Amino acid sequence: MDVSHLAQTFGSLFVSIFVVATYTMKTMIPLRVFGILTNVLLIAIAIPTHHYPTLVLHGILLPLNVYRLHEMLQLVRDVKKSVNSDLSMDWLKPFMTRRSCRAGDVLFYKDEPAEEMFYIVSGRYRLVESGIELPVGALVGELGMLSPTHERTQTLECIEPGDVLSVTYTQVEELFVQNPEFGFYFLKLASARLFENIGKLEDKLAEQVYGGVGARPATA
Amino acid sequence: MNSIAESFRFLFSDLTGEDNGPLPAVPDGVPEALRPAVAGAIAELNAYQGPSYAQLYAHRLNRFARRRDVDAELLGLIARQMARRMCYDDPIGIAQRHLAAVRCGAASEARHRFRLEELVGALPGKLGRPLLLGCAQVGWLHLPISLRFNGCGLWGRQRLRLQAGLRRWRRFSERYASERAWVERWLHMIDRSLTKAPAAAMAITETATMVDGSGETYWRGLADWHLLIDGVVKPVLDGAMPLADLAGAVAEITALSREGSSERVAETVGRLRKEAGHGT
Repeated sequence: MDVSHLAQTFGSLFVSIFVVATYTMKTMIPLRVFGILTNVLLIAIAIPTHHYPTLVLHGILLPLNVYRLHEMLQLVRDVKKSVNSDLSMDWLKPFMTRRSCRAGDVLFYKDEPAEEMFYIVSGRYRLVESGIELPVGALVGELGMLSPTHERTQTLECIEPGDVLSVTYTQVEELFVQNPEFGFYFLKLASARLFENIGKLEDKLAEQVYGGVGARPATA
Repeated sequence: MNSIAESFRFLFSDLTGEDNGPLPAVPDGVPEALRPAVAGAIAELNAYQGPSYAQLYAHRLNRFARRRDVDAELLGLIARQMARRMCYDDPIGIAQRHLAAVRCGAASEARHRFRLEELVGALPGKLGRPLLLGCAQVGWLHLPISLRFNGCGLWGRQRLRLQAGLRRWRRFSERYASERAWVERWLHMIDRSLTKAPAAAMAITETATMVDGSGETYWRGLADWHLLIDGVVKPVLDGAMPLADLAGAVAEITALSREGSSERVAETVGRLRKEAGHGT
């Protein structure tokens, strides 16, 4: 047995360990990392042994794995940044689908089971029951995903043609399951937005009862 | 081993259209006298599509059952009309009905007319949507197609079984999405009328009878319904169009549509809008 044959055997054995390790990963980020390591090792073995089909296959898989890992890490980074800054949900945009609305179109009805959230890109939209007009850049229905009843609390109607981006709760749940870190920050973000809404309501109530935010008495 | 099989069934449930959810109970707020009818509707919807669809019916009905301003008569009407509209007549539903008749020993043979868009719309969305676009481009959407549903012969029964088996994929179809949006809009109009014009709630609920059957009858009724809602009911409930007797106007237009007189429906809607100074 010559030295190159021995190196090839040990190399294959070593790579097999990485292949097995890749398949044992439970979540997406470690799976991609081990996938990348396996790709690099197999390319390294395929070059000296002139095994070109393996070289081509892993030459394609390596950038794919790197891109998907980058996508996942960027998502976590953006959600994390959002939690610590303006609580915006802009990071969801790459996962959303654009949809055009005509005046009179209803995006959802009050009490309807909620299945997706919307991001307003252009046009004018009104919550029918409260008469509130939503501004461009508003996200609608993000808390419905976490509510136990999954019901819409108002009807959203388009009053001037425009575009919205939509993402189904199932898609967000998939991101959640694939990546626990994303899930953790998403929960933090949703809770922060909920507390922000409660704060706004408290201020509004205080304004109505005491005639101004400043007039609100200190609470215990 | 069973749990592995269960996991794989779950993995492919979106493809196989499997629906193993629990059957819903009759909502608590439903009066005693209505409970058998609602239980019957739940069983019918379960047979039509599956437990999740029956759940959706119970959930929708519960929105009204828990309200104090909805009496037993109105709730009964909502329950009946909603069950009827949720069991819409697509080719799959008609095949299911013929097959059920075969099982009861009342096999029959009938021809039903559809528009091509009804047949294509019953296909799963990923397949149906591009086909619908293609048909729209060549102007074939309204093409009349006649289908024979035969429960008498062996070959006919096999065909019915095959057609009825497509119900697994029905909830992925374009028609399912549009029917779902229709029912939600109808319920939304009832909900708004209960707040803004309670006297018209019964008549608005009755408008569901305008939409029935398949083919031209269905499309004509649907067009009449949208004309009535967009031209009269919505502007009145929005406060943009003054109308003293909304209930009477809605009942009149519903009756005209059920007689099959679309022209008179359009005339009446136009007249009411003109009288209210809301253009034509």
